[in-house]
Formats: sequence, structure tokens, C-alpha cells
Amino acid sequence: MRQFNRRTFLKASAAAAVVSSVPLYVSFNNYKKAAEDATVHKIPSFCQGCTSYCGIIAHVKNDRLWKIEGHPIHLKSRGHLCARGHGMADYAYSKDRIQHPWKRGDNGEFEKISWDQAFKEIGEKLKDIVKKYSGNSVVWMEHGSHRKPYVDRLFDKIGSPNFVTQYSTCFNSKTNAWQQMVGGTLSGDHQKSKYIIFEGRNFAGGIVPNGMNLITKAKEQGTKILVIDPRYSEIAKIADEWLPIRPGTDLAFRLAMANVLISEGLYDKVFVKKYVDGFDEFWKYNKHNTPEWAEEITGISAQKIREIAREFAKNAPQAFIEPGWHGLHAHYLNSTQTAQMAIILNALVGNFYQRGGLMPSATVTLGHLELPEVFGPEKGDRVDGAGVDGEFKTVEPARGISHLIANKVAEGKVKAVFVCNNNPLRTSPSPEEQKQLKDADLVVSINIDWNETSYHAAHYILPEHYYLERYEHPYTVSGHITHEHPQIALRQPVIKPLHDSKNIIDILDGIAKGMGYNDLYPFTVEDDIKAAIAPLGITFEQLKKAGTIEFPATLKTGFPINKGKPALKTKSGKIQFSAELFKLDGKIGVPTWIAPKVMPDSSKADEFRLIHGKQPWHSHAMTNNNNYLMAMSERYDGMSMWMNTARANKLGIKNGDTVTMESSIAKKEVKVKVTELIHPDCVWVPSTYGGYSPKNTTAYNVGVNFNDFIPVMVEPWSGSTMSQEVVVKIRKGAM
Amino acid sequence: MARYGLVIDDSKCTGCTACTIACQLHNNLEPEMTYNRLEILETGTYPNVKMDIMPMQCMHCDNAPCVSVCPTQATYKREDGIVAIDYDKCIGCKYCMTACPYDARKLNEERVPVKCRWCPEYLEKGEQPPCAATCMNDVRVFGDLDDPNSKINKILAENEVVSLLPEKGTKPSIFYVKK
Ligand code: SF4
Ligand code: SF4
Ligand code: SF4
Repeated sequence: MRQFNRRTFLKASAAAAVVSSVPLYVSFNNYKKAAEDATVHKIPSFCQGCTSYCGIIAHVKNDRLWKIEGHPIHLKSRGHLCARGHGMADYAYSKDRIQHPWKRGDNGEFEKISWDQAFKEIGEKLKDIVKKYSGNSVVWMEHGSHRKPYVDRLFDKIGSPNFVTQYSTCFNSKTNAWQQMVGGTLSGDHQKSKYIIFEGRNFAGGIVPNGMNLITKAKEQGTKILVIDPRYSEIAKIADEWLPIRPGTDLAFRLAMANVLISEGLYDKVFVKKYVDGFDEFWKYNKHNTPEWAEEITGISAQKIREIAREFAKNAPQAFIEPGWHGLHAHYLNSTQTAQMAIILNALVGNFYQRGGLMPSATVTLGHLELPEVFGPEKGDRVDGAGVDGEFKTVEPARGISHLIANKVAEGKVKAVFVCNNNPLRTSPSPEEQKQLKDADLVVSINIDWNETSYHAAHYILPEHYYLERYEHPYTVSGHITHEHPQIALRQPVIKPLHDSKNIIDILDGIAKGMGYNDLYPFTVEDDIKAAIAPLGITFEQLKKAGTIEFPATLKTGFPINKGKPALKTKSGKIQFSAELFKLDGKIGVPTWIAPKVMPDSSKADEFRLIHGKQPWHSHAMTNNNNYLMAMSERYDGMSMWMNTARANKLGIKNGDTVTMESSIAKKEVKVKVTELIHPDCVWVPSTYGGYSPKNTTAYNVGVNFNDFIPVMVEPWSGSTMSQEVVVKIRKGAM
Repeated sequence: MARYGLVIDDSKCTGCTACTIACQLHNNLEPEMTYNRLEILETGTYPNVKMDIMPMQCMHCDNAPCVSVCPTQATYKREDGIVAIDYDKCIGCKYCMTACPYDARKLNEERVPVKCRWCPEYLEKGEQPPCAATCMNDVRVFGDLDDPNSKINKILAENEVVSLLPEKGTKPSIFYVKK
């Protein structure tokens, strides 16, 4: 049995090494000498702590990861990393990792099995299921879509349309609005901006380290930063002003801002005339949404709204409202319209494709492997209903509706589920409903630790190599910041696999072979990498050595024009204020006011809206089993729920008290932090805690999770969870 | 001989704690042991409220009380300004812990009151230690106070700075930018 204590492990591996090396737990006197003697290998790769995927330089001694630093070139890091990144690197040595394939026996207990047995049994079961119920009953659930090109080969073979990402719990409302109205997403050019509005967007919680660096530098140059958020988030700490808004009402604020821009003639008329379609329709439906109207709803004064709109226009086009990430975009009934309004406000001030406003990311086109085509049965409609007529027609099929899959198992429509790098039992609403996943005929968890999905739902658990142990298809760096130079980054092994794990192609190939398909995966990930970079004029060796490679600048300012006409990938080539697709069933395509689904009753002292957010040292629930990061939570009272002081006083609740919180689906105890830093209407919990897998020992039974309290709901336009449409009742004392 | 100093612009800190864990991994510390920390302070009444975050660590004082109280000279001041510990000489009396007004020391598993080392392996090469290098907001800048061209001297020239608890007469080598 390996000893995982950091010090002793380091000592042990140092002692075993042939070359003289740092004893690693050394007295200060010896440190310098020891450090000089050390053989430190520095290997570049990129982080897995969140989807910023920052470049890292791993420092390895005696095959043991010592520490990581930010990659100096990589656009997301530029030498900097957040706490999660460091923590995730150390997590390679967690004792709660899946060390070999497991199978759940008839008694419910897990037993160790070989890869051969796992592939044979999974392959045979999957084959039976496909035969009996067709490929349409098979689902792949993944965080992101990185493995999709590989999964597609198997799914094409069996005829399954059901690749489901986690995005319905994350930001479907945003990407859907941007796709419909702009044909793709742009990002803020923080560095060159003079006025930035972060509304429901905590850039210092959902972090891009180099993005934060650009923001703090811009601030030093005089850029004004406005934060609108019910909670004083970490980005509010460096803002010029924090405006706590009533949660769920950002749409009203944005409509009123547009109202000021238009009625006072402050908008960029030339830009709108040239590049906007649907302006008149928007105005027709929103003339009456004045600042006075919004004041009632949002709690932000009409005068303040006017002031902000004027300042926004004055600084434009070097001004923007952050397009955002998770915050606001899976949260409310009106999230899609709220996202639409971010587009409209930015377009009204004409900041699209302008430095200091919104810009695209520079990118390069990668090559691909020429592989034999896969033929299989015709695919049916997606089982989650995304993009399907009569179901969730307006939801992006490429993202799917992840939080519905367990219910589809219960309805008998899903028979086999693969869950890869994903943990729907913790990250989707209503854990009791999510647990129904286990009732499918086949549930395979391809995860690196004993997360809730592995422990409570899996029939088989297959360990994938950890991100520090594997190669992946190269990644074109993009998202949330703008940059002129395209970059590609490589994930490569920095340590040897610690356990009996495999890379994803070998796992898929094993399953395919178990089904009798012997030649679905006639390639390795290295082949795939070489094919991807072939058009770029670089070699695999160069990429391995550099980790991140930057190419000459490609980015241009100015609206995309083709043959003299606006050339966005939208119906008119312009920015569509009215989204065609949303006009279904007599609905309108422009955003207008939609009230939140639920509202706490202000006459009741014990009613609150439950809201959540990302703690800067945690990546939602993904990092909650990390010893270093959880020690940080201990140190800074990170597990507590924030409650406004005046509200707490009314209920007799003091800082550090335990309270009982109840929604329509759950009743739990939680510790409270009483603070002035939050809007009185809501309580806030970090999205991290509430681990309920006994084998993820650090996370187990620590704190609560917002998902415990929300029923499964589907936002009608974009399919997201509406995770803040929940009213809770809170009383002092334990249950 | 260089004379090291550190300037901290806490107004830029957003409390991400990367400085803490980068230091822990570099120095092979267990999760519970830290050489730096954040002091968080909330002031005002909703909605006119703010939060201050102050990164803290050993101040490497010029007139260090921990050095003067140490009976075995295990804690000593190096010529370059670093307050260092000779672990082999430490008898674990903990006088230094009591003497430090900044609460910079913690007892490790071997009963030695340890603290931030100012990572000379970086400073001597003119590089930033892990706590500073990883910081996305460039809150910390280390440098040579005797080098007129150093970045730290530029910051000191352009900003008003304060030391913590000046009344204790410790003469810290950490300067906080006053904003
Ligand atoms: S922001 Fe942090 S967690 Fe995310 S990729 Fe970068 S270092 Fe890793
Ligand atoms: S790394 Fe920088 S921003 Fe983060 S807590 Fe430390 S000093 Fe503050
Ligand atoms: S200088 Fe070195 S020991 Fe001190 S806090 Fe920074 S990284 Fe840690």
C-alpha cells in the first residue's frame, strides 16, 4: 500500500531514486544545497481545475509531481495560476482515486475486476441493450465535449444521438442566445476598456488568471469597474462600485438601461442601422420599461440606472457589459432573455468587434485524421428532447439537457448510461431524482475518483488516466478573454500513471471490442495529435517541448463583412435583436420582461431565495475532495451560508449558528455566516459542498449544496436548470 | 549583498488563496500548515459596505523580536535581511511564537515554530517566490531594496506605503501600499 502523506511519500520516493535528489523534507539550512542537487524535470501541459484550461509547467522529481507553475506564454495563465489549479495537480495523489476497474456485485458491494472482464461484460450488455431497445436508449454524459469526436465513432455505430454535456447546469441560456442572435460568442476586451459592467459575473471566482491580471492592470490605468450582484463577490472587492440587485431581476435592470439608451438617443445609431436587425421590434415591446419601472423591481434607483446607462454610452465603444459565464445563465426563468439583453446593450453602444468592447478570439484551424467512415443505424430524436419538435425545440442539441437523463431512465427511455468526467448526482438538481440513474440496465462511470455518481449509481467504474498522466487532442486556446494571437496547447503526461487506468480511446476501443467491433478505433491519441497539428507547420516534438505555441496575429477589428454585407452567421448576417427560433408557438423573439418563477414573500421573515456561486479556491463540487482546498475552506469559514445581518437579527440568528433550511424537496442543517455583504432577500451558498459519497473521504458530509434544494425544472428556451428559482424557509436551530 | 524587501498592494487582492497553496506545494507543507494567510475584514452597513483582504506572512523584521528572544540563535537575521531558522539549533521553546506581533509562526509536526522563508532560492536569482509569481493580480512584488533600479524601489517611489504595527518598533521588511 502506498503511503500518500505528502512528506513521507516524497521522502520515500527520493530515497528510492538513483540520482542524488532533494530529500524534500529538508531543514532550511540544507534547502539551498539540496535544491541545487535536485533533478527537476519541467514539463508543460495544461490545467484541469476548470474550463479555463490554463497552461502549466509541472515540476517533477523522481517521477513524483512536486508542484506546478503557470505557463508563461499561455493566454489564460501567463505565469499565474489560481488555487484550484495547484490543488488539482496534487490531487493526483489522492487516496480516493479509482485505482482499477470496479464492478458492483449483486449485494451492492463493489469488487475489483480486470479491464478484460469489464470490457467483455460492458460490451455484451451494451450489445443486448442496443439490440433490444436501439441505440436511442444509450446516453453519454460528459463535462464538456472534449471526448466527443471519439465517442461519436461508437455512437455512430450503434445509432445513438445522445451525447449530453453538463451545460444545462452551467450556461445554456447564454450560448443559446448568442448562437441565435450573433451566431457565436464574443468576449470582453478588458485590457483596453474604459468601463466594464460585471453583472452576475464574478470574474474573481470563475477565474481566468491572466484575465484578472488584465482587469487589475486596466483598473490601474483608470478603467471603471461596476459590479451588479446580490452578493459582494470577489470581483466586487476591486470594483469602483457594488450595486446589490434583487436576485432574479437583472433582466429588468437591463431592459431599463436599453430604455435610457434609446429614449435619450444615446445609442450608436449608425452601428444599429448597419448591423442590427429587429431594433424596431425590440423597441415596440419595451418602450414602457423605464428606469422608474425597473426601480420597483430591482431595488436599484431610477437615477442610478440612468447614470449607468449614460456612463456606459459615454465610454463606448471602449465599454462593455460582460457576456458572462455560469452566473445568471442557468439560474432563472428569464435567463435566456437576460442573456439576450447583454447582447442588445452591447450592440446598442456599438462595441462589437471593437478594441475595448467585445472581440472574438484569434484561432487556428486544426487538421484531422482520415479515418474509415462508420456506418450504423439511423439515429432517432434525442432522448432529452433538446432540439426536438414538440419537446424542447429551442434548446441547443449539441449541449443537451443533462439534468433530465435520470428521469428518462425512470421513464424507461434510457437503458445504458456512460458518465465521463462528470458527476450528475452532485451537480444536477434534486439528488434523489438523479440517483434514479442507477436503475438503468447499464451504468458506467468513467471518472477519476469515488464521486457520488461512481459510488451511488455506477454498475461499473472505469478509471481514466488523470490529466497529468495522459495525452489529449490539442486545444485551441479561447474563451472569456480576447487575444490577437492564436495559440494551441497540449496536454501531455507529466507523470507515469499511478494506477491501473487507461486513456479514453483505449477505454472506448475496449468497449467496442467487447461488442464485437474490432476496428472502430484504429488510431492512438498521438496519431490524432499529429494529424491535428499537421497544417500548422509545427512538429509533435516542438509542441511537447513548448506546451503552448503562439501563432502570428490574425485578429482584426471591425464588423465581419462579406461582399459589402454584414456577415455574421445569423439569418440576416446582422445581430438579430429578435431570435427567429424563439418565435415558436406565437412567442416573440425579442426579450421583454418575464418575472422570475418564484419570489420569496417579503412579509415573511423566514423566506429567502437560495442563490449560489463559485468560491475562488473551488471549482464547484469538482474540487471538494481535495485536502489542500478543503483546508482552505476550513480556514476561511468557506462552508457557511451567507445571510444578511438585518434579516438574521429578525430571526435571532447569530454568526456561526446552525439553522434549518427547508425547500419543497429538502430540509437540511447549515451553518450561517451573518454579513452585510449580501442582499436581504437571499441567502448564498458556495457551489462546492454537500459531498455524499462515503468513499470521497474529504468531501463526505461537509456542508450543503444548492442542488439539494431545487427540484428538476427546465428553462423553456434554453433548457437550463433554473437553479435559483427556489424559495427556502429558514429557522434558527438544528433539525 | 542584496537587502530584500516585499511590497504588497492589498487593494488588488481578491482572496483567491493561490499564494497559500503555491507556497505549500513548493515548501512541501501539509494542507494544515501554511506560511502565509489572508486577514479578511468587513466594514460598513449594507449596502454601503466593503471588504478588505490583507495578505500576511513573516515580515522579516530588521529589528525582529523573534531573533532577540531566541535563546539558541536558532532564529537569526541574515545579511540579506531574511529572518531564517536553523532547525537543528531549535529547542522548541516557542519564545519566538509569543514574541511575534504578526502571528507569523506555526508549530510544525516536529515542534519547530516555522514560518515564511522568503524563498532565497528565488530571490537570489532575482525571481519572484511562488506566492508572488502565481498571484493573478500581482499583489506581491519582492526585490532588492539596495538596487535603485529594482521594480520594488519603483513602486516604493510611486506609492505611499505603511508597515504594520509600527509602534512595536519591529521595522518590518514588508511594505503595504496605502490606497
Ligand atoms: S483558472 Fe485555475 S483552475 Fe482554471 S484552469 Fe486556470 S489554474 Fe486551473
Ligand atoms: S494569490 Fe494574490 S489575489 Fe490571490 S489571495 Fe494571494 S495575494 Fe490575493
Ligand atoms: S516567500 Fe516563500 S515561504 Fe514565504 S510565503 Fe512566499 S512562497 Fe511561502
